[in-house]
Amino acid sequence: MGGGRFAFVVHALSPIHRRIIGLRRARPGLLLGFDDGADPWSGRGRLARYRLDLDGEAIEGDILAISLDPEQMLTDQGRAVSRMERVVREWTGHRGYKAVGLGSLCAVVGGRGTALAERLEVPVTTGAAATAWALWRNVAAVADARGIVGPIAVVGSAGPVGRAVAALLASEGRLVRVDSKRGGRKLAVEVCSSIEDTLDGAPLVVGAGPTGASVEPEWVAPGAIVVDVAIPLTIKGRPPEGVTVMAGEAVSMPPELHNGGWGPLYQVFAGYGPWQLFACVIEPLVMVSEGRREPYALGRKLSPDTVRAFGEAAERLGFRARLASGFFEVRPDGRRLGGLRRLVGA
Amino acid sequence: MALQKLTADTYDAADPDVWEKVQGAFAEALGLDEDEVELSSLIIEELDAESLDFLDIAFRLERAFDIKIPRGGIEKAAREGIDDEEYEVDGVLTDAALVKLREAMPEIPAENFREGLRTTEVPELFVVATFYNLVVHLLNEKAGA
Repeated sequence: MGGGRFAFVVHALSPIHRRIIGLRRARPGLLLGFDDGADPWSGRGRLARYRLDLDGEAIEGDILAISLDPEQMLTDQGRAVSRMERVVREWTGHRGYKAVGLGSLCAVVGGRGTALAERLEVPVTTGAAATAWALWRNVAAVADARGIVGPIAVVGSAGPVGRAVAALLASEGRLVRVDSKRGGRKLAVEVCSSIEDTLDGAPLVVGAGPTGASVEPEWVAPGAIVVDVAIPLTIKGRPPEGVTVMAGEAVSMPPELHNGGWGPLYQVFAGYGPWQLFACVIEPLVMVSEGRREPYALGRKLSPDTVRAFGEAAERLGFRARLASGFFEVRPDGRRLGGLRRLVGA
Repeated sequence: MALQKLTADTYDAADPDVWEKVQGAFAEALGLDEDEVELSSLIIEELDAESLDFLDIAFRLERAFDIKIPRGGIEKAAREGIDDEEYEVDGVLTDAALVKLREAMPEIPAENFREGLRTTEVPELFVVATFYNLVVHLLNEKAGA
């Protein structure tokens, strides 16, 4: 394992987040709302710093933000890619990044990161391998803790994360159903012709699509557990009574990981919570620790073997996949951490 | 000379240069071999595209043709001249909306725009030729501008 630096690029999740970027970067125009992010010179820069102390070395990371909100990212993908390229180049000069990770829609626009990767000399990785790893480990933990044999229904199996998770669960001998032909291609899984059929009677549901709201509440079996990474959530509206939804892409923070002064605030505003990260953030960190130049995930490419390799490397560094409900950890059997343990994230 | 839009009966008339780029964009975005992508391929049901794939396809087409694909452009064309309450009722498309959609998307067999079709079901009817026609429309607009 080696040291070095990585960048993780994010964007404003809303106009309010854009103002927070303005506060952090001391940009009055952004803070006061006069700058709506459209201007090419609109504020950008570092939001937070992380450092993972290894034996004798350290991996440092910068969370870099651009001020475009989701609508702006999607309306003009070319502009979004240019903004990301600019902020990475500006900071690479004095920080010397060895890997760049992409958060939220940064990992979606421009051909799922491929356009940015073509423009930069430093490797770009989208976070999909880390998300797939966390989701796989969390689903497996729930299945084992609750004695669920199957079927495990994977919604969103046509995408790289969904397909990889279906493959990994099936490789463990679990009974898996997928909602697309592509998701089940060459896998020992049951392929269903509709999401409703995929969910029929399934006690455990994997919400692996990047965008949710694809499942009608009445399709979900009574008492089912849903482990979800979709935003918005996979089930439309409120989950039915008795159905439990857990967030599937959180990871614990080892004690050797320090997040400075702005780190906890960044984590809260990003929706992770102060005591955990979303798995995608650590993908470039793990790349740096492994001295790896090849991205773990870029475009649609994501293999189960790569997800396993990422997971093994992440666990060597002390990261663990963990189920969450809001900011707090949930055990696979459904128990929440209580009291002081919850407060300190132990 | 302006490029011609395709109808459900005239796929053979596709401009080979335009088709080559459209086919390539779909194949790259969806991780498919080019011969798996046909003008008549249903994008969601047959090519298994998910929501993000549409973004990727649009981006690659924009780059290949140096055009700008407006978000929701197809639906906007169909809604042109119709008030919201005349377009759908409880999520079900009105007869007027179905007529407009048939006109806006001649590459889809007219009978697919059936009575009772819901707004949310429209993307499921999209074929690769839908995007071919969108590209042709934007290229003609650009040439005429």
